[in-house]
Amino acid sequence: MSTIGIEHGPTTHVATPGGERYDILKLERVKQAHIPFYPEQEGVTADGNTAAAIATLQMWRALIYPGFPITPSTKWIETVAAKVGAQKGTKKRVKLLEAEHAVADYMVGAGAACRDLIFSTATSSVGLDHMTETTRSLGASGLGNVMIINVYRATANFPLCIEGDPSDAMAHRDDGFIQICARGKQQIYDTVLQAPCLGMHPEIMTPTMPGYYGIKDSHRNARFIVEADTAVHEFQDRWLQPCHLPGTINGDTAMGNCVTSRHFQGFKINQKRRIERVLDILPQIGADFEKTFGRPGLRFFDETAWPEAGPVDIAVVGMGPDYGTFESVREAWAKKNDVSVSGLALRLLNPFPRDAYREKLQRAKVVLVVNQAHHSGRGHLTLDVADALAGIEPQPRIVSAFAGMGGADVSEATWEAMLDEAKDALTTAPRQPYMVFHEGARL
Amino acid sequence: MSSFKEIATKDSCFRAGSTLCPGCMESVAFQNIGRVTDNGVKTIFTIGTSCAEVSTLAFPNVVAWGRGDESSDDFGKSFSILHNVFESAPTLAEATRDVADALTDCGALDRPVQIISTGGDGGAFAIGLRTLLHTIHRRARVTIVILVNEIFANTGFQYSPATMPYADTSTTPAEGAPGNMNPPLDYIHLAIAAGAGMVAQLSPAHGKMFVKAVERSLEVEGTAVIFVPAPCISGWKFEDGQTVELALLGARSGVFPAFMWERGKGGSVKDCSLEASERPDVVDFLAMQRRFAHLVQRDKVTGEVKPKPGREQDIENLKGWVQSNVERMYSLANLK
Ligand SMILES: Cc1ncc(C[n+]2csc(CCOP(=O)(O)OP(=O)(O)O)c2C)c(N)n1
Ligand code: SF4
Ligand SMILES: [Mg+2]
Repeated sequence: MSTIGIEHGPTTHVATPGGERYDILKLERVKQAHIPFYPEQEGVTADGNTAAAIATLQMWRALIYPGFPITPSTKWIETVAAKVGAQKGTKKRVKLLEAEHAVADYMVGAGAACRDLIFSTATSSVGLDHMTETTRSLGASGLGNVMIINVYRATANFPLCIEGDPSDAMAHRDDGFIQICARGKQQIYDTVLQAPCLGMHPEIMTPTMPGYYGIKDSHRNARFIVEADTAVHEFQDRWLQPCHLPGTINGDTAMGNCVTSRHFQGFKINQKRRIERVLDILPQIGADFEKTFGRPGLRFFDETAWPEAGPVDIAVVGMGPDYGTFESVREAWAKKNDVSVSGLALRLLNPFPRDAYREKLQRAKVVLVVNQAHHSGRGHLTLDVADALAGIEPQPRIVSAFAGMGGADVSEATWEAMLDEAKDALTTAPRQPYMVFHEGARL
Repeated sequence: MSSFKEIATKDSCFRAGSTLCPGCMESVAFQNIGRVTDNGVKTIFTIGTSCAEVSTLAFPNVVAWGRGDESSDDFGKSFSILHNVFESAPTLAEATRDVADALTDCGALDRPVQIISTGGDGGAFAIGLRTLLHTIHRRARVTIVILVNEIFANTGFQYSPATMPYADTSTTPAEGAPGNMNPPLDYIHLAIAAGAGMVAQLSPAHGKMFVKAVERSLEVEGTAVIFVPAPCISGWKFEDGQTVELALLGARSGVFPAFMWERGKGGSVKDCSLEASERPDVVDFLAMQRRFAHLVQRDKVTGEVKPKPGREQDIENLKGWVQSNVERMYSLANLK
């Protein structure tokens, strides 16, 4: 780790695997041009979209904010536009494009032009779908300085509904982005701040897609801490160094070439290797964040009620704000039923941290996995958990549940119904490969 | 403005080794644009998926781009090129321009950059009409070069919205059918209406005019768009060595007249009379290409070109289209 700081003499160039790189950019000038939005740490009451917008605005490396509206899911671009517009003398710019596809293309052009700046946008559902051709290119591009904030919303527009189930995030798992799920405004803010440190890490160089649930988290207000811009910069500067590869402006380089099969195959292997590095580097960034700000940083998952050691009867795997309802019913239900119940709330969706789940979940007799997105089989998360547990003897029984589909609240009664099924599985095999729960009942 | 001779001595950023067909107008265009951009300003190209991309940007085989045998220490000679998906070149160029401007605005970049988007007519007028028109509409300070060979060449010579009437393409076949019956999109008018600062229709067959237009495009306010009629030897099916002749004949006969226009100043049609009688007969243009073999034939003895029996009315229709095309260009020239 080192802070940025480039000496400027006459322009020099050095050969890199990606072409020649010229020492032409005075990045410290970009930093000097940043006008703080928050000179001091401040408590703010706002919704999730605003929390994400504030985090992106505070980054000195973020100069241009491309976007296309997808309201009501996210008012990110409107919020950014209002705050940039209100800041006299700012060098930041809002860029309104004609479609999400264009936004994604724009981020390729911008991210490639200067690999030391951060380009973020926010979208949701059909907006993310509209970007797909380019998100899949971006995923492979090495442009870790691109961030798409995904406000989870059902992808189907037939019938159209704006409810926040995470089917968009699940459908885009193979785009190649690092996907991190946040719940609660503080976690949204903190996650967006840390994401570029991960994506732009020289061993990772993979774009990021922090996300949070639409409506439930995007639109509900809560109080959270906003750090001073200078503190944000200090943290990010510890992790972000000038990219060792050239961009189109500071380089003599060709990007996005048409490559031979052999080269392409090597490239795909390298892409996979780079995203796997997330599993080592994410905890380091998270730990540094925690040390710096005193709040939990990036993690693979949030843990609920895990004893130091030894077995647990039921382990719950879920994600998003509905997991909070599980946390609130857990203790009473466990006491009443005389079983121990622990839980994991997913944070890192992609790459899925299989080994970390395995290590935890092998202590459980039954694992209740709660899927909230449409899936034609047993559920996205169920398959990941099953994979994580493969080969363990004795194999914990997996109870696969669908709940909260279409953005429904997963009520206390629904959680209790699912836990009842998990309890039955302590003694007998689950009734069905997966079960659908809605409004307190198994359907 | 540099003299034509001077430009001919410059170091092109388009280099040997491409796999474009011998006789492809695209390589002639790139050679010329490559030389014009050797002007001390850092050059960045963005390129859409097309023949022009797959045949020039092959890695680790030949990347036929770059200025000089090795990267120069002089940043002003440096060159970069970026490809993303099929239709995205104008947006990539606009983004690059914005980043350069934003860095300059902060004092982080004190050298200029010039940005050129390039791609084919399919990329521009079919899948990418949205991105093309909106980049123009936002007045992005970039030059957009569209290589108009009237087909999707890269994928096997299919119809594009620039295909001229009666042309035989792999998706508008002429065997037992008339060929393409859809008149081409009025892309010049669209570019002007969208807000372009400069619009030209010129090929390197009009050498001096072409390089002047490219040079001018780097100076004008807003977006400059250059449509380059690009005879495609494999898709239009003509003989070796006829590329430039065909491009000149196409322009002079009124199929794609040479045209130069600037916002606020208006424009002009060059080297193509409004009067049909003062232009070469379009039939001679057709006769050089086998994509019109269903319409015309050349008498082996006299060399005279005649409509094929039963195709007389089609030729008259096509001539009518050419005349309306020329009139359209003259009226576009009057726009300010
Ligand atoms: C989304 C998408 N659809 C289809 C293609 C296949 N494709 C690649 S190049 C091309 C045609 C290119 O035509 P044009 O832009 O006119 O360039 P040319 O090859 O004629 O120079 C097509 C259809 C693609 N790359 N991407
Ligand atoms: S097919 Fe046509 S456009 Fe493509 S390289 Fe050959 S001549 Fe050029
Ligand atoms: Mg074409």
